[in-house]
Amino acid sequence: MLAVILLLLILPFAAAAVSLRAPDRVAEAVTAVTGVASFGLVLALVPAAAHHDLDYLSYLRIDAISVVFLMATSFLYAAVAVYSIGYLAPSRRSREPGFTRYSRRFYAGLNLFAWTMMAAPMMNNLALLWIAVEVTTVISALLVAIENTDGAAEAAWKYILIASAGLGLALLATIFAYYAGAQVLGQHYDLSFTSLLQAGARLPHTPVRLAFVLAVLGFGTKMGLFPVHTWLPDAHSEAPTPVSALLSGSLLAVSFYAILRYYQVAAAAVGPAFPRDVLLVFGIASLLLAALYLLDQRDVKRMLAYSSVEHMGILAIGVSFGAPIALAGVFLHVLAHAAAKANAFMGAGVLVHKFGSKRISGITGGLDLLPWSGPLFGIAILALCAMPPFGIFRSEFEIVQGGFSSARYATPAVLIVLVTLAFFGLTVAANRMLLVPARGGAKSLTRGEPSAWMVVPVVAGVAALLVLGIHPPAELTGLLSRAVHQLGTAS
Amino acid sequence: MNGTLPIPVIQFLQVATIALAAPGISGVIARVEARLQGRVGPRVLQPYYDLAKLLRKEALAPEGASWVFLAAPVGAAACYLTVPLLIPVLTSFGLPLGYMGDILGGGLILALASFLVAIAASETGSPYAQLGASRAKTFSAITEPVVLFVIFVVALVTGTDLPYALAATVRSSASQIVRPAHLLAAAALFMVILAETGRIPVETHTGTNEFGMIEEARPFEHSGPYFALLKWGSWMKQLILYTILLNVFVAPWGLAATAQAGDVALAIVALVGKAVLLGIVVAVIDNSFAKLRLFKITEYVSAAFLLAVLGVFTLYLGGG
Amino acid sequence: MSATAAVAAPSVYSGGSSVIALGVLLAEFGMFRQALLRDQVRLYAVQSGLISVLAILVAAVRHLPDLYVLAGLSAALKVVIVPIVLRRLLRGIGRAGEDEPAAGWTEIAGSGSLSLANTVLLAIAVAAFGFFSVRALNIHSSVLPVTALEISVSVALVAFVLMITRRDVASQAIGFLSLENGISLAALVVAAGLPLILEVAFLFDLLVAVVVFELLIRVHHGRAESLSTADLTSLRG
Repeated sequence: MLAVILLLLILPFAAAAVSLRAPDRVAEAVTAVTGVASFGLVLALVPAAAHHDLDYLSYLRIDAISVVFLMATSFLYAAVAVYSIGYLAPSRRSREPGFTRYSRRFYAGLNLFAWTMMAAPMMNNLALLWIAVEVTTVISALLVAIENTDGAAEAAWKYILIASAGLGLALLATIFAYYAGAQVLGQHYDLSFTSLLQAGARLPHTPVRLAFVLAVLGFGTKMGLFPVHTWLPDAHSEAPTPVSALLSGSLLAVSFYAILRYYQVAAAAVGPAFPRDVLLVFGIASLLLAALYLLDQRDVKRMLAYSSVEHMGILAIGVSFGAPIALAGVFLHVLAHAAAKANAFMGAGVLVHKFGSKRISGITGGLDLLPWSGPLFGIAILALCAMPPFGIFRSEFEIVQGGFSSARYATPAVLIVLVTLAFFGLTVAANRMLLVPARGGAKSLTRGEPSAWMVVPVVAGVAALLVLGIHPPAELTGLLSRAVHQLGTAS
Repeated sequence: MNGTLPIPVIQFLQVATIALAAPGISGVIARVEARLQGRVGPRVLQPYYDLAKLLRKEALAPEGASWVFLAAPVGAAACYLTVPLLIPVLTSFGLPLGYMGDILGGGLILALASFLVAIAASETGSPYAQLGASRAKTFSAITEPVVLFVIFVVALVTGTDLPYALAATVRSSASQIVRPAHLLAAAALFMVILAETGRIPVETHTGTNEFGMIEEARPFEHSGPYFALLKWGSWMKQLILYTILLNVFVAPWGLAATAQAGDVALAIVALVGKAVLLGIVVAVIDNSFAKLRLFKITEYVSAAFLLAVLGVFTLYLGGG
Repeated sequence: MSATAAVAAPSVYSGGSSVIALGVLLAEFGMFRQALLRDQVRLYAVQSGLISVLAILVAAVRHLPDLYVLAGLSAALKVVIVPIVLRRLLRGIGRAGEDEPAAGWTEIAGSGSLSLANTVLLAIAVAAFGFFSVRALNIHSSVLPVTALEISVSVALVAFVLMITRRDVASQAIGFLSLENGISLAALVVAAGLPLILEVAFLFDLLVAVVVFELLIRVHHGRAESLSTADLTSLRG
């Protein structure tokens, strides 16, 4: 197992180094292979993590919760790596100047980004976790700016300023968590997550509460919780599509992972009621804001970004319910949302490329003109709206059921109403893009897919959603139940 | 001679020291400033000669001015002669008349004096005098909160707002000097003093500058002995404020602990010496900075307010 | 006349360290006043230097030798390297068509959305909130007085005000760096025993962040020909 973990840490970094120097075809092949290999390696970890925690080198710790997030990230890494082959092909064909430099930076950044996002769930140390999340911010900001348009520059600046300020708050949270631990474990303990969890109920209450609230605010900035989500629509819409998929599907999830670790410590120290209330407030606010904004969107990628905010709100609400089935729904939601959001972004990328415009009004007749990507995009949108038989339906159902079973009735009802609002917003836009017959400039386009490379990952994603929705494999269920057990032991 | 002075004599000496030394301090500042600028400068005793000259001259009053115009300089001088009774000028122990008023009382009397002069100036109908009066009152209104917060610091540190008590506390140990609240309050008070005595960066003390005159414009219409009283009054205000800063906050040493004549004489010398040193600091500041434009004085006062507020916070919330 | 009980004086160490910490907060307020970017960078260097001095003081009095190394590293990084990086960045940015290569270095910061006095009053209110909230938490540190923690949280909050009211990218970046200063001051108070390797990792991470900030400022300037953020309004809704 240690070999697997070390490979997971080394391969993407090596791929990034290769991408900086090698010609672009080699780089894209290496990236794709590394992505698929990473996903395979993570799958190899699943049976082991479902039974016990893996602790190595005193800094690495992989338990069931980590593996859930690793699965989400590595699956997206593989999908996006393959997708990028098709995404960059038109630029290469048209021999744009500076393409070599662009593709080098793109692939190096992509590999590094995936590397840091996979390293973060493996860290046992709260300080190293913070550093990993900070490095993801830094690399993704450069990736957002890579397109070098006005919008990209503005979005990248807003992103790095707001996210870094938020991570400053998260650093303050780490410091206060250290302080809480130091009261019990002495000044020179190593801020490891396991030792804090063991100290559990002996930790002083006030610093732990403070650390948790600051962590939710700080890491919530990167997760996209209201009111610190303001960078999200800009960054996700201005970044290149593969990067947007990674941002929405994995980065938000990794930030959520950090909040979950603080939740575990806080629940062990002060009991689960306080952290759950905090998460509930932020979750409802995010869901409400996203649902309202989704009703009036003009840019397809921005719309998907708000959908990410919505789903992050659902995750926070799910954790706040606390019932085991709600927590199982939360973990399943992490996986299903990653797949669905990536599919949606990848499909949107094909649409944008085909129609030459990001505006919803500029994209019409998608189903006719794109025989594969059109329907797949529609399926992805439906999946995001929690339509059965896809994975998100199952996970949201479990969350709502968890809410009802823990005797809260108002919140799940509000959740259902808001998710319905989001459904309206998303499907109206999708309808305009896909079902309405081609108008205006779109009439002159020919039917056909730009590239097969951009279709295959989406098909794989839909297949994953179907598997998650209809019948998750037994090992996965075992993993999820162990994750639920670990998260909920304090309750 | 080392006899014990009776207390009323010491009280009188307090007032006399302030009254007689005030023009000298002003002369020292003018001289040092000139020297720093490379000029020879006026003689140190020039203000005394100015006062003597003015007392011999004829007094004129504008048409339509009432008795207030002539009474104001006298009233202001009376106020300025009263305040030295309340603050620790020469002694470290409280004198009987010193309990007539605390810091708030002293501040009130100083404000009364300033108010009288402003009233007289606005009575004249002269544009410069009215300009100066209105500006002076505006800026003293916004510096009031700063002074109040400084007083709060004093009150929180000592539990009373008697200046004698704070002086004793500061003398008591090194930890009292280094505490942040004390330093902040002293700094805030110094900034207010620069504003109240009409120094850079608030106002140019010498020369008439229509765009920047605040305090200097108020005595524009007075002449002769009344003008002498006003000038003397402003010098006394300057020395009183310096005394408060020095003997209460910054350097409360050299005060007479007993009523012995020798101690009191030493205290007089110490006070004059400290005031001269502070005057030199003020002269250096005068030459180092430029005058702020009028609307930027609010920034200056907000900085002073920041210092005073932080002083209260560190004290009230941190025990600092 | 005596309505409140006197507040006892802290020890000389507490008072002295509080004064140095106060210097950090006053430097933060000073950044509101500085109009030139050059002065803001220098003030940031002064602020970082004060924190290093405080770290050395704590190391000497509380016998924590790790802090000497930390003070030296953070001084090297934040007092020397980061200002040099910023100066090189600003020097390299001249206005189009100007022969003066140092135009960026003497550039005046974009005017804030509020006047200076109002901003300072707002910042005082925010700092007051910081003071009161930390007091209410009742956290005690064995290393520095709680005043220093109050000050550090106030520095962080005032840095947020600085970032919000400033209208050009360089001032916003320097505001972010002063936010990091406030947090490292808090770390000094509450987490002085944190293993050295982690503190070094934080510093290294700060350096990486500064490099990326520099890159993005160059990108912004390359597109907008100025450092102002007044036109960054195209992405809305």
